[in-house]
Amino acid sequence: MNGHRRRHIRRAELAAAGAFLLAALGAVGFAVGYAFGAQTQLEGVALAVAFAGIAAGLGIWARRLVPAGGHVEEHGGFASPELAAEALADRVTEPGRGWRRGVLVRLLGLAVGSIGLALLFPLRSLIAPRLPGPTHTLRHTPWRSGGLRLVDTTGRPVRADEVTGNDIVVVYPEGHVGAGDAPAFVVRLDPSRFSARPPAAGVGGIVAYSLLCTHAGCAVGLYEQGTGQMFCPCHQSVFDLLAGARPVAGPASRPLPGLPITVDSSGFLRATGDFSSPPGPGYWSRP
Amino acid sequence: MIVRRLVRLLDSRLRLSAPVRRAMAKVFPDHWTFMFGEIALYSFVALVLTGTFLALFFEPSTTDRVYHGSYQPLHGKTISAAYASTVELSFDVRAGLLVRQAHHWAALVFIGAILLHLARIFFTGAFRKPREINWLVGVTMLTLALLNGFTGYSMPDDLLSGTGLRIAYSVVESIPLLGGWLAFLLFGGEFPADQTVPRMFFAHVFLVPAALAGLITLHMLILVRQKHSQFPAPGRNEHNVVGSRLWPSYTLRTLALFAAVLAVTFALGGLFQINPVWIYGPYDPARATSPAQPDWYVAWEEGALRLFPAADFRIFGYLVPSPFFPGVVLGALTFLALYAWPFLEARVTGERTAHQLLDRPRDHPARLGVGVAALLFYSVLVGAAADDVFARLLRVPVTSLVWTFRFLALGLPLAGGMLAYYLARALRAGSAPEFAELTRADLHRGAKDDRVPGDGDGPPAARIEVWQEFGLVWRWRYVEPTGGAKDLELTSNIDYPSEQEAAKAARAAYPGVPIGPGRPPPGLELPAAPATRRLGGPLARVFRLAAWLVVLRAVRRSRSR
Amino acid sequence: MYRARRVAAATAVVGVLALPAGFAPTPTPAPTPSGAPATADRGRLLFEQSCASCHGPAGQGTQRGPSLVGVGPASLDFQLSTGRMPLTREQRQPERGKPAFSRADIRAIVDYASTLGGGGGPAIPSVHPTNVQLGQSLFLDNCAACHSAAGSGGALTGGQFAPSLAKATPTQVAEAIRVGPGLMPAFPDTVLDAREVNAIAEYVRALQGRHTDTDRGGLPLGRIGPVTEGLVGWAVGLLLLVLVVRWLGSRAR
Repeated sequence: MNGHRRRHIRRAELAAAGAFLLAALGAVGFAVGYAFGAQTQLEGVALAVAFAGIAAGLGIWARRLVPAGGHVEEHGGFASPELAAEALADRVTEPGRGWRRGVLVRLLGLAVGSIGLALLFPLRSLIAPRLPGPTHTLRHTPWRSGGLRLVDTTGRPVRADEVTGNDIVVVYPEGHVGAGDAPAFVVRLDPSRFSARPPAAGVGGIVAYSLLCTHAGCAVGLYEQGTGQMFCPCHQSVFDLLAGARPVAGPASRPLPGLPITVDSSGFLRATGDFSSPPGPGYWSRP
Repeated sequence: MIVRRLVRLLDSRLRLSAPVRRAMAKVFPDHWTFMFGEIALYSFVALVLTGTFLALFFEPSTTDRVYHGSYQPLHGKTISAAYASTVELSFDVRAGLLVRQAHHWAALVFIGAILLHLARIFFTGAFRKPREINWLVGVTMLTLALLNGFTGYSMPDDLLSGTGLRIAYSVVESIPLLGGWLAFLLFGGEFPADQTVPRMFFAHVFLVPAALAGLITLHMLILVRQKHSQFPAPGRNEHNVVGSRLWPSYTLRTLALFAAVLAVTFALGGLFQINPVWIYGPYDPARATSPAQPDWYVAWEEGALRLFPAADFRIFGYLVPSPFFPGVVLGALTFLALYAWPFLEARVTGERTAHQLLDRPRDHPARLGVGVAALLFYSVLVGAAADDVFARLLRVPVTSLVWTFRFLALGLPLAGGMLAYYLARALRAGSAPEFAELTRADLHRGAKDDRVPGDGDGPPAARIEVWQEFGLVWRWRYVEPTGGAKDLELTSNIDYPSEQEAAKAARAAYPGVPIGPGRPPPGLELPAAPATRRLGGPLARVFRLAAWLVVLRAVRRSRSR
Repeated sequence: MYRARRVAAATAVVGVLALPAGFAPTPTPAPTPSGAPATADRGRLLFEQSCASCHGPAGQGTQRGPSLVGVGPASLDFQLSTGRMPLTREQRQPERGKPAFSRADIRAIVDYASTLGGGGGPAIPSVHPTNVQLGQSLFLDNCAACHSAAGSGGALTGGQFAPSLAKATPTQVAEAIRVGPGLMPAFPDTVLDAREVNAIAEYVRALQGRHTDTDRGGLPLGRIGPVTEGLVGWAVGLLLLVLVVRWLGSRAR
């Protein structure tokens, strides 16, 4: 080994040693940092230095101090020799040989298959117990009781005179704040600008619609003042409130369901029934 | 010293010498692209380690409780236990945020590495017989990884991931006939159901990791049994594996990679903020945030949902909603195509032989074209998922970007695939070593689909040399003149007890190559016999053996320096 | 396109104000110009120099700019203090920039212009940011959908967008809430009262990092979310690891 190579080796050894020492320092840094409640960035860097030191040291060891490559191993082939493979197949199929045993194997298959199918039935339990299935549940919302007041997200009832055309008010049925299919919104629009009638009765220009996008169920929370458009942030569907909340852009195909409302004697807004169609995205048995 | 004693201690109980020495001698090809799978493996280990820490603090429940932690805006609010415990983990558990972010970054890297690995396997044809089983195992692991990633970031019940969960629910709902029932079954009722978070937790923390661990084990066992494939090159053929031995070269390099993966994981976890759930706030079905995207590995579905037009239709009065096609059909077709590819390709090409040698990507232009087209297609979809971010950046209407991406999604894969196809043909037809050095003549030849005439059956003047070391064991090597200063020399990875066995192994690895005697490597010459009086009898043999073993060790040590 | 919307918005605002008294917020009288007549003169001078060319010498509006009659001091102060007005170039939507005038000059212009055509419109609200918990709830309920839960802004239709709130002062936040500039909804007192506006302003300050460790996790990457996170995952994480692997493995086949 000539001196040049020896120097290279020495240098590599020193580099690896330095890397391992740095790693140890990093680890100490992390431990000390943790003990003093250090913040995330410092802890992360310390730990990263620790692991990087090990990586560098081992990498230098592998690349410079240990010969790589240069070895060959024979490959015996992927399949056994023909006779051996046949022998194996014979040995495995031994118990089932013959017509009667063959029938037995098939009957075993029938038994196991039947158990497998039967065991699929308890999957029904995964649907929350005591609750009906989807066909009925998806069709109705808590609004169906009728006569429920519209309350905002803090539970405060909404007065008809608070609703303007400059912003929407997100509402829930009273007593059901947070229900997943119930969110709706009210806004005051100028009926003379309607190009299509709203699907549910409003009162004096105030209309209410379901807040859930009919594409994939996100809250269509973006109201654009002046244009009467609602913009869904998930897949960019646009609903035109002046045209009965019909989708005018994006992948939604059905208009937002309307919520029929009226004003009660105290001036609060009340719903008179459920949405004009099931809210949210479509499904097979949707009416 | 300690290691030596440990080895002797274990060996005296487990008789390790023969199996471990054989294992340590196993040869693995060295090419850097063969290490992509290991990046994924070590990311998985990082995920399990960080995930264990997180699971000790996370409360997988949507039961409401009052937050009393140190993040002021949430103080005193009633939020779900899942969300509260995640924010507490981020603000009040020491190193909690580091581990949480490291876990999330490791997930992004994990799936990215799987994809790199899949692309390498695909473009080099490593999935061909006999490795179809491992391909199927690998695609299954990809599916499980995607599932775990999605459930992982959806568990904290924050506004952004809750919105994504709502979309996933709607996609399941859109399945004809069964959609509503399947959604109720998987999620536990109408959205948002109380059972969803606990179920995701159990799947994420136990079911999927257990399945992944089992599949990874199977994947590696099959790999070890079949031996790793290799690129065609001098000395490599269908009957051997050429590369480094497991110990020490391969082990050191793979451990270095392990440490590097952990270093990158924690560097990202400490320096770059990811998924700041305290900013998003708890999930509420009436709230929205914009922009809203899922993690990148699900973003191809999101992009498809944004690009696919409003195409609901009714059959016999029943509704097939439009999310069904980009959501369910695209996903199903993608994975069906992935699973079926090895068998489809085998049927089309009619190949039935097993392969140990890989294709260079250019050797199979049709496969390359299809692969490039697929990658471009899904990349465009991922880009489309961010269309509102681009719209804001470029100050253009989102709708015009939607049309742009639609055009790109259909046109770019076609154009890119065809370009890749013709370039591969040109590379194959000419002698340009790489893509940057293609000449016009190559392109013309490629258009006509000429091929470079293959060399004869083997390189001329290659030979096998067999020799004895220390009078005890036999080794062989393969020598091939390269036309350069140094010949290619590949040494057998193990030694053999007799010349016949050495020759047999050499013939198996290099059929048809002449075998002759050879010299041991320099530095391994036996020292001259000592002039002292030799001891007689059986004792003498033992002493001689001991002496040679001592010499052997000393010489090996000097050789390995 | 922007101009049409502004006209529509202004019309809507004026239209709303014309509805029966119960609906409209009580118009506060325009504040009398403070100090010597010199300030009023300065205001008029600046207005004639910088605003009249598009908005008309009496603020009545022209083809190039909507009427400023009755928009109110809050709207005027908002547009001037965020540097959106005067418009220096054609834009689909005016964007925040360096204000063209000093604080004193802005006050002068606002004082002058709010008297045009009889005055009216929302006054500059006085803001005392407080109650960050309430602020977060209100922000997420009302603002996050357009401005993003992180306050970094988001796209709207037609190439317009809800801007980032990173530089918004509490007064500007309150003004925007009351005025509803551009496509933004305007929230009257009955929907968000003064206490609630104070809370939202406080939360915006928290988002900006005032006395709250909002970006505790490290570089926020623009608070855009999974898009930038995925980019960093590939461009930093996987790139580094691929480089490591290239170093460790062999390149020659």
